[in-house]
Amino acid sequence: MLSKTHYRGENMKKSAGVLFVLVLLAVTLLAALPVTAGKLQKQLIAESTIDQVMRRGVLRVGMDTFLPWAMKDKKGELVGFEIDVARRLASDMGVKVEFVPTKWAGIIPALLTGKFDVIIGGMGIQTRRALKVNFSIPYDYSGMAIVAHKEKAAGFTGLEDFNRAGVEIACKLGTTAVTAVKKYMPKAKLRLFDDEAQAYQELRNGNVHAVVGSSPRPAYEAIKYQETMFLPLKGNFTKEPIGFAVRKGDFDTLTFFNNWITIVSHEGWLEERHNYWFGTREWADLVE
Amino acid sequence: MTGVYLVKKKSRLLDIMVTAALLLFIAFVTYRVSAGLSYHWDWAVIPNYLFRWDAEKGKWVSNILMQGFFTTIRLSFWSLILATLIGLVMGILRTRERLFFRLLGRSYVELIRNIPPLVLVFIFYFFVSDQIMPLLGMEDFIRSRSEAGQQWVALFFAPPSLFTSFMAGVFTVALFQGAYITEIVRAGIQAIEKGQWEASAALGLCWWQQMCFVILPQAARQVLPPLANEFINTIKYSSIVSIISIQELTFQGLQVISSTQRTIEVWLTVSLMYLLLCFSVSLLARRLELTLAVKSV
Repeated sequence: MLSKTHYRGENMKKSAGVLFVLVLLAVTLLAALPVTAGKLQKQLIAESTIDQVMRRGVLRVGMDTFLPWAMKDKKGELVGFEIDVARRLASDMGVKVEFVPTKWAGIIPALLTGKFDVIIGGMGIQTRRALKVNFSIPYDYSGMAIVAHKEKAAGFTGLEDFNRAGVEIACKLGTTAVTAVKKYMPKAKLRLFDDEAQAYQELRNGNVHAVVGSSPRPAYEAIKYQETMFLPLKGNFTKEPIGFAVRKGDFDTLTFFNNWITIVSHEGWLEERHNYWFGTREWADLVE
Repeated sequence: MTGVYLVKKKSRLLDIMVTAALLLFIAFVTYRVSAGLSYHWDWAVIPNYLFRWDAEKGKWVSNILMQGFFTTIRLSFWSLILATLIGLVMGILRTRERLFFRLLGRSYVELIRNIPPLVLVFIFYFFVSDQIMPLLGMEDFIRSRSEAGQQWVALFFAPPSLFTSFMAGVFTVALFQGAYITEIVRAGIQAIEKGQWEASAALGLCWWQQMCFVILPQAARQVLPPLANEFINTIKYSSIVSIISIQELTFQGLQVISSTQRTIEVWLTVSLMYLLLCFSVSLLARRLELTLAVKSV
């Protein structure tokens, strides 16, 4: 008997203790909720890329060499449309700029793992890509052009001529050129190369019918190798928006870049730079 | 006389004829390539990408191809040292009697040597180096150094901005070259007769002394030729890290190609630079082999 009551007493004590803890927990949680929301906002701002850049004093930009977006000039310095944009962005922010040349095929994983803060590398805004990274509003538009081999593709005048089985088209791996070929010339066989230069060499050797690449390089190649290449189409056959790419979920940074792009594009500065790099060849002396 | 055979003979008529025939064949192939390849040769831009005249400083400075060449040397040098260390430790572990040690050595070798290096490079760069490097805080440490300190780091390793990826490259190359060196070390140790172990044990040497003073010196002489092979391979394999954007020779070559579109000229120049580097290592290894052989006689 004695032992029984003893047990009951212990049980009651236990449940009272549990209840007390629960009430305490609920009270603390209720009290803490508004505080956490405020804290969270502060934390988000502190963790945003843009804030880290300002604290570090260095903006790290991921890019790959791509004519005339970004090139190494004779002095070993980077020049090009993309480089101008990134330098202006950094100087407007009052920080130093650091370029991280990265192979195109690995550029998105490199951004996601924090090797740099933003991709300013002529990256076309695509649905698939937008699922992996956040894009800013477009700051430029590019398009795909096609250059073909004079003998192999003799008489080809339109995209439909290339959309046949047995036609081979070379592209740089992982670029929007691949998407364009799959969309407009699904029957043609794709040959992918790690580098654009290899794709054009394959065309010069007459092993493929054509190369699809972003403008204006196909036109330059056709001028340089007039005896083997020609342009079957005048101008570009696609129009693609180009944006900055940042890690997902960082709206602070994204909004800042969007605002900056709006400012410089209304200034007319973006257009002026675009015309210099894409409309003229005044810069050719820098690299050759 | 072990290992090296020194033969001195005068060249005969037959040798001269064979050489001439070979040269003719090379000339023919070169002619066919230049005739068959529709390519505009233009070597004019290459020298400038090796060295350029710096008008501000008023002297010649190395341009990106040479900078890439130096980065390749730095990268190979540190990877070589690290790979040799890993190889030595793992190689010794593989010859131990205790199962745990052998398992450790064997798992390392089998894991690394049966994975394509390219995959390994990617895994290491994106996962391992990302987890380890920030923990070590190396980049912040170097950025906080004085100007002079940063220059020293840049001279022996890489500039602060590229330091983390440079170290990731060094570790990756060392890790997979270490696996091959492990096997060479193991073969070298196991090639030493049992009598050597027994004799040194009879002299009262402990295991550590036996290894250091009796076994390893003899093994080193045996494994020098395959080890030299692996050293040269390390230099060549260092080009694989261009995929993770370490600015060594191959990467810089690619940059020059996409800027100037002189594809073949740049590749030939880059190959020649690798040839120079690897050939000097070959010569060094041969000299070392001769010195060790003379000592042993």
